[in-house]
Amino acid sequence: MLPTTTYRTTAFVEAARQIGVELTVASEQASTFAAANPAGLLTLDFKNPQRAADDVQVFARQQPIQGVVGVDDDTAIVAASIAQRLKLKGNPTPAAEAARDKHRQRELLAKAGVPIPRFMLRRLDEDPAAIARSVTFPSVVKPLRLSASRGVMRADSVQGFINAQNRLNAIVCEPEASFLIEEFIPGYEVALEGLVVNRRLHVLAIFDKPDPLDGPFFEETIYVTPSTVPAGLQSSIKDCAERAVRALGITEGPVHAELRYNENGPWLIELAARPIGGRCSAVLRFGDQKVSLEEIILRHALGMALPSLHRERVAAGVMMIPIPGAGTLQDVRGVAEAKTVPLIEDVQITAHPGERLVPFPEGSRYPGFIFARGETPSAVEAALRAAHAKLTFELSS
Amino acid sequence: MAAAEIRITAEPIDNQRCKFVVSVPVWAGGVRRFTGADEAKGSPLAEAIFAIPGLAVSELIVSGNIITVVKQSPEPWQAVGKPVGSAIRSILTADAPAVTAAPKPASGDGSAVTDDALYERVAKVFDEQVNPMVARHGGRVELIDVQDAVVMLRMGGGCQGCGMADVTLRQGIEGMLAQFVPAVRGIVDITDHTSGANPYFQAAKK
Repeated sequence: MLPTTTYRTTAFVEAARQIGVELTVASEQASTFAAANPAGLLTLDFKNPQRAADDVQVFARQQPIQGVVGVDDDTAIVAASIAQRLKLKGNPTPAAEAARDKHRQRELLAKAGVPIPRFMLRRLDEDPAAIARSVTFPSVVKPLRLSASRGVMRADSVQGFINAQNRLNAIVCEPEASFLIEEFIPGYEVALEGLVVNRRLHVLAIFDKPDPLDGPFFEETIYVTPSTVPAGLQSSIKDCAERAVRALGITEGPVHAELRYNENGPWLIELAARPIGGRCSAVLRFGDQKVSLEEIILRHALGMALPSLHRERVAAGVMMIPIPGAGTLQDVRGVAEAKTVPLIEDVQITAHPGERLVPFPEGSRYPGFIFARGETPSAVEAALRAAHAKLTFELSS
Repeated sequence: MAAAEIRITAEPIDNQRCKFVVSVPVWAGGVRRFTGADEAKGSPLAEAIFAIPGLAVSELIVSGNIITVVKQSPEPWQAVGKPVGSAIRSILTADAPAVTAAPKPASGDGSAVTDDALYERVAKVFDEQVNPMVARHGGRVELIDVQDAVVMLRMGGGCQGCGMADVTLRQGIEGMLAQFVPAVRGIVDITDHTSGANPYFQAAKK
């Protein structure tokens, strides 16, 4: 299932071609070729997983389906509903829903004793000053369902909290919606990419996030793997993620988790039942054949033999290019120069001229990605920073 | 021309194919396709790319400022794209033409006739079916050439840079050609998707 807003289309379509499987692409908006290729193109209501499962059940009477894959938070739930209905490999729907809903996720994690920040649920139409009286600072406000750290803000004081709630209210535009208030956990953040096979978590990669994510907003930048975190701590991180997978009831498929660690050990910040987002998966290659993450995910969903799940030996990293400011993108200069930086493999500008760029926390769309590969994580990180320094974004107001 | 004046952007399509978009014209004579080192003889750019060690290039298509390379090596483009870029830059800074015109087929050569016939049939499918469909999203698909039964096309309007362009290509156009012109062996998209200024669907999530 490929939403029309995903970055993942090419990676999944080409992975399907690579392994020679027939593909049906489902999106939430109709392709102009839907009538011409009814077996290969399907339109589903991703906001209503049960209806989507009904539609796929009807579709599958004519076009048998052997596997279903969602690529983002919403389609992970739809995929679970369809898998359950058609008795395909997949997660139980409640598990996928729990991974999607930040509050439900925290309830289950807390109940299972997984270390997570203290949290409380409030509504956006409540008086922020009244809420602030029961908040311990520093805290973090989070919407329940937005992606990519959009709307996530740190508050260090009563006034900061009031400002953050008001700002989140404007972003979400649903006064009756709930939001999370969470204890801010200081520490170093890592991301864990995994594949759950028959309830067992296989760690595909642990990424360091060398830029501190201390707020006031939480725009991600650099991911580098392998992690330089000591092996014992990596083991604790894996255990923490594995406990979270069990607590949520995730049984099959990709997971992406964000964790922090400090003197008290690892803390689970988020866990999603989907692969890493954006175009970041391009840094992951597995086995001698350098198999892509997408190919592994498709093979797993179809019950095909899995290749090695060991990532290649060299270090790799990606920078989600920080949003350079608010304005309309006119031009990006320095791309060719950035590509000549040693260890840089590619610089992809995904924003187009004329596009309006919106910084965090209101926005969340990165203008592009930089990829590097090299002998050591520190060399990769330095290359990413050097390439980024070559880029100049010209914006008009 | 100085090497520094030439900018080259690599756009991997999949692990076999990658488009190299060059900031200067490479070949103004339409589309030139090479399927082996023998065919590359006389065209320095093609000779250089086919000669890159370990890349196992099986096909090269040059059109305007876009060079599409098809390789058999399992190495990802991120690892092997630089030698291709270096070869392109090196050839374009030399005085000699990078690409020369294809030799005229001998009289009675069946393959040229077949490609011509295919071109007509593909063009008809594009005119009558593909383009009316993509026009609903403000897009258009231009048939550039057919060589050795491989269709080369370029997307424009809402299709250029569209997040679902690959779905349109593989689930739409490819299926339609398989149905109406089954002799077509493949499709190569030579679009510069990074220059799309008005894509119909745009990736917005992380």
